[in-house]
Amino acid sequence: MTGATSVAIGVADPAPLLATGGALDGARTAVRVLVEGLGKAAVYFTIAVGLTLVFGLMGVLNFAHGAVTMVGAYLGGLVLVLVVGSGTGTLATIGLFFVAMAIVFAVATAAGSAIELKLIRPIYDRTPTYQILLTFGVSLIIEEVVRIVLTLRGIQPDPQWQAPMGTIPDVLLGRTDLFGIAVRRLYLFEVLIGGIVLVAVWLFLTRTLYGLYIRAGSEDTEMVQALGIDVRRAFTVVFGVGTGLAAVGGVLLMWDPIWGPSVLLSIDVLLYAFVVVIIGGLGSFRGTVVAAGIVGIADSVTTWLFTTGIVTFSGLSEVTIFLLLVGMLVVRPQGLYGVEEVGGH
Amino acid sequence: MSLLELDDVHTYYGESHILQGLDLSVEDGEIVALVGRNGVGKTTTLRTALGLTPPRRGTVRFKGEDVTGTEPHTIADSGMGWVPEDRRVFAHLTVAENLRVAAHAAVDPDARLDEAYDLFPALERFADKEAGDLSGGQQQMLAIARGMLGDNDLLLVDEPSEGLAPQIVSDVVEALRAASADTTMVLVEQNFRLAMDLADRFYLVDHGVVVEEGDTAGVTSDDERIRRYLTA
Repeated sequence: MTGATSVAIGVADPAPLLATGGALDGARTAVRVLVEGLGKAAVYFTIAVGLTLVFGLMGVLNFAHGAVTMVGAYLGGLVLVLVVGSGTGTLATIGLFFVAMAIVFAVATAAGSAIELKLIRPIYDRTPTYQILLTFGVSLIIEEVVRIVLTLRGIQPDPQWQAPMGTIPDVLLGRTDLFGIAVRRLYLFEVLIGGIVLVAVWLFLTRTLYGLYIRAGSEDTEMVQALGIDVRRAFTVVFGVGTGLAAVGGVLLMWDPIWGPSVLLSIDVLLYAFVVVIIGGLGSFRGTVVAAGIVGIADSVTTWLFTTGIVTFSGLSEVTIFLLLVGMLVVRPQGLYGVEEVGGH
Repeated sequence: MSLLELDDVHTYYGESHILQGLDLSVEDGEIVALVGRNGVGKTTTLRTALGLTPPRRGTVRFKGEDVTGTEPHTIADSGMGWVPEDRRVFAHLTVAENLRVAAHAAVDPDARLDEAYDLFPALERFADKEAGDLSGGQQQMLAIARGMLGDNDLLLVDEPSEGLAPQIVSDVVEALRAASADTTMVLVEQNFRLAMDLADRFYLVDHGVVVEEGDTAGVTSDDERIRRYLTA
């Protein structure tokens, strides 16, 4: 999403494009755009789900979320660059990708829990402005520390660190034939990872005691306390898990040529994560899933419109996504599945 | 030793001085009603006891222990349950999940849920239904069952009849009577007759202090000492 091209506005004549394919080609294109949209939706879901969990229970808008994703992208990339060599096989590389994901999740979860305990907990009794300023400050510190480390190591902080791209196994490069439709393999991989994260979070929310506390606490934190549950401990766990998920999103983006590890990834991710959670409803897991799907498909369709030349406005995708956000804020400010007031402590 | 004691309690919301030196005590096994007009501090008394709105001055003792300023979850875990005004069930959780949150500390949560279903058989039929889809009366039953599930020695019940049809109110009264066999109860209730019918003793609260107290037997809202505090 970084390094946007110059913007030109115009609509080309769509007739020749539509006439060349016929109905079958049209259906194939629609399916391909849909699959690519699901790939993008998986990315949007993965970068937003941690943010919505944290806000849902704690009422904390974590402005450091994007910075954690950025660090996750660099850490995941570092693990793979260090351990994947020219002789590493495809399966081993994919296995190492999951190992990197687990390591990054564990490190980020521990760091997130520590941040909640030491920095955020002391200011729960203050207005949300303090939490926003604090997490925004943490975000700036993380970005500058990463920039310093990258500069010292001679790695380019912007636009992207390319080395992790070199670890992508061949099997994920290019397109594959799916029922006669050529689909980018990386999108299929992103759908797979997004699906794994979705199922894991869903199982956490519906099959564990802490998941039950989170769902109950998202509705009424005080009532949860009155039932004898130490909500502050649940806050620490959830902020840790939310931070871990943000970092896992970074590992997923590490191989994505559109996003890739860069310091600017921090603000890009934060922006799109906010769009998804606001459209879905702040604090709603189901809303995040649906909103990620909507934004992903919208992104895919508008990208197709631009790349085929039907529309020659290069910023179409971004404009459409942010128009969705503005439309939602006007029509239904609480989002698709949000409640009018959520979170709190 | 009383089960619950509030001694010269002063509680504020911001700068609003709500409880202005309130004293009360609740003995093991009894039902105590808090009555009075709207806004005199009855709900605040319950919130103060549970630590949700801690007092700035005065002492709260539960089972002989000073719990003033203690975190609400610690007080709740030590055996104090709460059935709040407006019920506050978790609308997007199922009935069973609502109960499971309350049974979190139980060694065998399923057995505790079965006990709740024995007491309120209607809840078992709706176990997998979202609590937000239940009627007001069913939600009140769920709130009472949830309040009792923590193996509580004391149940604080706030306005259980509020917003319910008369027939449903009588069901709720029966549920509270059944619950009182297992637990001591403090009941905040606008319906004076209902409160006197259920409770053994009462405290009449006005402007954040107790102005009358005694046994409920034979007490009616026509008594001059009661009437002047209940009419606006």
